[in-house]
Amino acid sequence: MSGSLSIIGYGLAVIGAGIGVGLSALGATQASARQPEMHSKIFTTFIMGCAFSEALALIGFVLALIK
Amino acid sequence: MGPLDKLGEEIDHLLAELGGMDMFTFSWGSITTYSVWIIIALLVVLAIFMATRSNLRLVPKKGPVAAVEAAVDYVRKDIGYGVLGNEAAVNQHMPFILTVFFFILGANLIGLIPGAKAATGTFSATLTLAVVSFVYFNYYGIKHSGLWHYVKSIGPAGLMPGLNVMVWLIEFMSLVLRVVTLSVRLFANMYAGHIVLGAFSILTTLFVLPVINEFTLANLGTGAASIAWMILLVAMYAMELLVAVLQAYVFALLSAVYVMLATSEH
Repeated sequence: MSGSLSIIGYGLAVIGAGIGVGLSALGATQASARQPEMHSKIFTTFIMGCAFSEALALIGFVLALIK
Repeated sequence: MGPLDKLGEEIDHLLAELGGMDMFTFSWGSITTYSVWIIIALLVVLAIFMATRSNLRLVPKKGPVAAVEAAVDYVRKDIGYGVLGNEAAVNQHMPFILTVFFFILGANLIGLIPGAKAATGTFSATLTLAVVSFVYFNYYGIKHSGLWHYVKSIGPAGLMPGLNVMVWLIEFMSLVLRVVTLSVRLFANMYAGHIVLGAFSILTTLFVLPVINEFTLANLGTGAASIAWMILLVAMYAMELLVAVLQAYVFALLSAVYVMLATSEH
């Protein structure tokens, strides 16, 4: 076995981001199922929510690279 | 001897290729393959918009002109009115957001042509884009509410003394990290996507080679596996088309959100 422990740290960081993106997808699908006419606005908010929770995983990615 | 023997070597070659190579070296630096693809992306996007501009009519024609108009209209409605809100802000900031959107979209889509490289697939390019966006929204934030009020508005108002300094510091850090997240998101998506596409095309080639070299029944079996890799490759290519559009949209949307946050009163 060889490699860097920081990759495991990155994997841990991704768990939270994965849950966050999943939850926002859940919210977005439920919201647009209830109000289909709001779909485009909900989609924009969904992408924003994804981007913000993804940011945490990206910070983990950078820290894994710079060690 | 299986078809996977040369996989590691080929992947190393792919990574070296994606890392970018110097084409011309000067005393002040060098022009890499990515620099050339950035210029190509810029010229292609510019050419498309010049052609569209000279063909604009009150009643849009069918075909490419209408497609570009629809794309501009979508970004304007969805990002402009959806995020920035009022007419004046949309008119003021749309040129920047549309430029960013269409440059990234053009670069991403050009990168999906086999043999071409995505200009956004290198970290220096995405970092530059993120820094431009960062400077833009800070400039308009300061212009809108003055330096002192802008710096103060980074943290939320109405907290007790002592705590507000801590919250301000955390908010300031997340403000600075916007450069990192904007650039790394775009870079990581494009880079990882191209590695996956490259790996699947390498696997397709490696599995079909034995059939070409020697036509036996056993080799025909590995050749059949190559078809499965190719189907996966086509599926991933479709996925990458989606990612290319989505990442351009996300970058433009977040730029608009940051501009909105900087220029709105707290």
